[in-house]
Amino acid sequence: MTKLVTLTIDGMQVSVPEGTLVVDAAKKIGIEIPVFCYHPKMEPVGMCRMCLVEIGRPVIDRSTGQPVLEDDGSPKIQFSPNLETACTTPVGAGMVVLGATEKARSGREDIIEFLLTSHPLDCPICDKGGECPLQNLTIKYGSGQSRYLYDEKKHFVKHVSLGELIFLDRERCIQCGRCVRFQSEIVDDPVIGFFHRGRALEIVTYSNPGFDSYFSGNTTDICPVGALTTADFRFGARPWELNKAASICNHCPVGCNLTMNVRREAASGGDWVVKRVMPRQNESVNEIWVCDKGRFGYHFAASSSNDQTSFKRLSQPLVRKNAGSDHPGELVPASWDEALSVVSERFAEAGDGLLALAGGRLANEDLFNLKQLTTTLGGEAVLYTHMAGGELTTQLGIQPGSDIGTMGQGDAILVVACDLMEEAPIWWLRVKQAAERGSQLIILNSRSTKLDQAAAFVLRYPFGAETSAVLAMLNALSEKRLRLPEAVQVLERDPTLQAAAEVFSGANNALIMYGSDCIGLTESQALAQACANLLDATGHVGRPNNGLLGVWPRANDQGAWELGFQTQTKLEDALGAAAALYIVAADPAGDDPTYLGQSGFGGKAFVVVQDLYLTQTARLADVVLPAQSWIERDGSFTSGERRAQRFYPVIPPRTAPVSRAESPSTNKAPLLIAGDEVMESPLPDFAITAMITLRIDSEARITASSAARVFNQMAETVPAFSDQTYLELAQVHEQWPIVGRDDLYYGGTSYENTGGLGMQLALNTSDTPSTTRLAGTTVEFIRMPKLGQIAFPIARLYDRGKTLMPSQLLHERIGEPYIVLNVNDAEMLRIQDGDVVHMTVANREPDSPDRVTTGQTVVVQARLDQELPERVVLVPRSFGIPIDKPTPVEIRRTE
Amino acid sequence: MFAIELARGLYTTWREMFNKPVTIQYPDQRRPVYRRFKGRHSLHRYDNGLEKCIGCSLCAAACPADAIFVESAENTNAARFSPGERYASTYEINMLRCIYCGYCEDACPTEAIVLGDNYELSFTDRHDAIYTKEMLLEALPEGGSLTPQEVKPGVYTRSVPEMKDPVD
Amino acid sequence: MLAEKYTTEIQTILAKYPPEERRAAVMPLLYLVQRDQLYVDRHSMSEIAEILGISTTEVASVVGFYSLYYDQPGGKYRIQVCTDLPCALRGAEQFMEQLCQRLGIKPGETTSDGLFTVEPVMCLASCDKAPMFQVQSGGGLAYYEDQTVENALALIEQLRTEAASKGSAKRKDEYE
Repeated sequence: MTKLVTLTIDGMQVSVPEGTLVVDAAKKIGIEIPVFCYHPKMEPVGMCRMCLVEIGRPVIDRSTGQPVLEDDGSPKIQFSPNLETACTTPVGAGMVVLGATEKARSGREDIIEFLLTSHPLDCPICDKGGECPLQNLTIKYGSGQSRYLYDEKKHFVKHVSLGELIFLDRERCIQCGRCVRFQSEIVDDPVIGFFHRGRALEIVTYSNPGFDSYFSGNTTDICPVGALTTADFRFGARPWELNKAASICNHCPVGCNLTMNVRREAASGGDWVVKRVMPRQNESVNEIWVCDKGRFGYHFAASSSNDQTSFKRLSQPLVRKNAGSDHPGELVPASWDEALSVVSERFAEAGDGLLALAGGRLANEDLFNLKQLTTTLGGEAVLYTHMAGGELTTQLGIQPGSDIGTMGQGDAILVVACDLMEEAPIWWLRVKQAAERGSQLIILNSRSTKLDQAAAFVLRYPFGAETSAVLAMLNALSEKRLRLPEAVQVLERDPTLQAAAEVFSGANNALIMYGSDCIGLTESQALAQACANLLDATGHVGRPNNGLLGVWPRANDQGAWELGFQTQTKLEDALGAAAALYIVAADPAGDDPTYLGQSGFGGKAFVVVQDLYLTQTARLADVVLPAQSWIERDGSFTSGERRAQRFYPVIPPRTAPVSRAESPSTNKAPLLIAGDEVMESPLPDFAITAMITLRIDSEARITASSAARVFNQMAETVPAFSDQTYLELAQVHEQWPIVGRDDLYYGGTSYENTGGLGMQLALNTSDTPSTTRLAGTTVEFIRMPKLGQIAFPIARLYDRGKTLMPSQLLHERIGEPYIVLNVNDAEMLRIQDGDVVHMTVANREPDSPDRVTTGQTVVVQARLDQELPERVVLVPRSFGIPIDKPTPVEIRRTE
Repeated sequence: MFAIELARGLYTTWREMFNKPVTIQYPDQRRPVYRRFKGRHSLHRYDNGLEKCIGCSLCAAACPADAIFVESAENTNAARFSPGERYASTYEINMLRCIYCGYCEDACPTEAIVLGDNYELSFTDRHDAIYTKEMLLEALPEGGSLTPQEVKPGVYTRSVPEMKDPVD
Repeated sequence: MLAEKYTTEIQTILAKYPPEERRAAVMPLLYLVQRDQLYVDRHSMSEIAEILGISTTEVASVVGFYSLYYDQPGGKYRIQVCTDLPCALRGAEQFMEQLCQRLGIKPGETTSDGLFTVEPVMCLASCDKAPMFQVQSGGGLAYYEDQTVENALALIEQLRTEAASKGSAKRKDEYE
């Protein structure tokens, strides 16, 4: 327990832990000490001098060591002759701080006057105007008059772009250094810096592309002026014109809390549109930050059916004419009633031949209802993913009370087969910070990642040997040793591994984060099992801050695991064998045409696709059902840390009045819409599924009416959700630092959390016999082929996936499809860096792993890497290259 | 008794026949408005035709009736609407909502919006009451050219005109 | 290109610092570049960044902070006049203005013969002897304090003569 120190600030007594800064102590009791350069998440620097206060300290008698007393018995206080900065002064016992005196007030007034000597008066056109700390504090503490000449202001070209995402206005900069400090201190990406000194100082970036950081958007939140603004929101609206709604990021399993700012827009025909995405404070999840993918990648959900680009949203159900006959026709618009009756009829016929394939961006409620549908019919519910092992995270995962933000000295985090920076940047940040607080970070990977810099132990295994590497750690700790493949024996004998294993075993709390870097479904299942075994053997289960954490490819994969979804190793076979397919929020045909088989999903299945867009898969479907995106409705996601979090409707559902000219009926009769236009608009996924189910079995326990009712049903049925309600998820408690209130100068423009902090799920202990826990892991190892290359899939934060491509702003960062080759291989193949190459992907069932049978060929750019082992090719996922597991490929130069 | 009253009444009639009439023949004749009369708004231009409005939306913020809607976009030198970086891509006033208080005029940092002396507002449809930017913009000054203009770089860099005498 | 040209020099410089504090070598490496090409271009900054394992922006910040390094090409001699507050109070600004006027240039510009660049800089720690300036050339640096425009012009003339006679053009590097 840290020692408490009592001091008096403006007449109020406060007790705070030793070492607290005066400015924070004041904030805790609601006394305002204005700041510009100080930020509660960063080390103080005392650059702006805005926080000047009078500080008095008790006089201590040197001879006795006792405080000198005044005549009335109170301790004698001696004030320093100068004003002191409250942001750099730690509290002291008996200290007296005066922030409201005339002296302090005039000090602040002078500082403001100085800052304004060279600040342009372009508040009317500044994106920060209205939520600007300088503007607010000038009104509150400034004098309203300046003794300095306007001519002396510095003039620059109004804005320069620090890369295409962030704009800099050098005239507005007050040189507080928050952005530069954030980049170097917090996210360890020192890609912006100070240049020159004094009045000539400006912010520069020399990285390529400019401001090359996944966290760049956060600098615009903490910038106390409008010097840094995002290109996305540039002139989008004035802050006071925006409405806000709490949401959850849908891009990765971190589940960052967001606030979306919306406004009606003339360009969109008066529709409500999302103008910007801001972080919402949740100190256990994303603190007050959000990565640029979350900030700039929301356009996919916000696009409308009026969208002129290829990301036009579906607005009404489509049904194929003469489906099932020898000459199927086109997809034509239909009413919901028509579409649902076709679907329910055919699903009922299919019975247990139904296969529901769900994408991980669906909400818990959607997945639950899908599961209910397949349970009713006896079908199968499959999660569309390339990463398995989720059932282990429901048993040995982390549990209520866990928070990476509380891990520190004495704890350990093992990160296996995972490139956190690319897969889940905020987790990268949280893990890095845990390491800085003293957690022992152990990294097991086949290639170097950004997180290596923060790690205590960095261990490399040969490509494809991730499971063996984890078992090598287990071997290091146990008497009974598993025999491991030759390739990992070097690693097994490595004393660093021995040391890392002992540290992991001896840690108070230990967490394993495993990902799918360079591996697919089968390999990740084995890896998860090995990790579970290691956790179990070292006793790091069943306690907060211990357990297995999956770094999933999608936001709500964890939710799917909790609800009992399975994976299919041979998905193409399962798709081909099913009598009816219900594909929701997934586009297997677009990702890899081989999923279609010879004649499109086996040719005989009845295919229903439910999505936002007319995807490749949807084009082949018999019925296409338009779904609402998550920002048009409410629901909940389960983050990788097993935290169920609510999201709220941000914009009203897109409605599209049905045009009569498009009447599907041959005799040009008006559509049978019964005047109910709303019925022709997209519906929430859970509602569509429920409506189908209820048409099949009107007694089914499934509800279409509201997400809250679905959640209640889920809480009754699924043990992990048993103690949760929407009300519980919406609970908030006081968080530190205080942000998002009137005092924007303190924490920046991140929003205060009023929508709920969410709740972690209880561990599934019901079906966890110890035998499953310790089930042996098959020690398989991908052998390198004697000829040709093996492609290993890796994650890139900015990919060419369907949920990111609608964000035009990111296109330059996303780039074209590419592969990474070893230099020697490239030399042998006569390939130079940047060349365009043909890559032929082996068929899904190659006759022998050493031979590449003819498969699909993709044309990609080749990048060369010296560190990569020979015959290893790295292929980014979601770049249109159909590789989701280690796959033999053949590469040749494009002539 | 009756005759006296009648005569008195007729006297008034007779007398008024020689007075100047108080009514005018509207719309053939129009009464001048008072100097501080607040009529329909217009958006002003600079002499060269550039719009004074920079799309800052302060008028909309000041409007107590929420009658103004502004959306802004960025100027380029190839297509310049107003000086500086920002211009109003959409500017609408709902004249049915407007209470002609003139707060928008007070809030405007560039003196772009001015309440004129036009009080002849009538609509047959609620939608017609929404005046768009094209309807609100004043006529082109002599010698000016229509927006967007193509201009040389580095000339119109400031949105808010520099005030030479800060006291003004 | 830098690494190939000065392999041994770079090794010598790096050897002076502990391996985990390699970034400390940024200043000597910048000197190395500047001696070679009289200013530090963006490419060299990237090279130094790569050698030291830091970001190019960090190297650029060092170049920007110190008046000893330049990121733009200039004259053979850089006359850097301190115009910070104490110097300004002692007439440094007028001094620089007049000097520039006499040379026919504006502050920050280079004379037509390409020899002299006059620029204002931040504090040079000689407040009591203002107006003062430092002259930097390819090899070294010298302080000139308590200056008048006439003094300065005489010095410039002298340097011009020196530059003309090739042998004496190279000045002693005071840092080595």
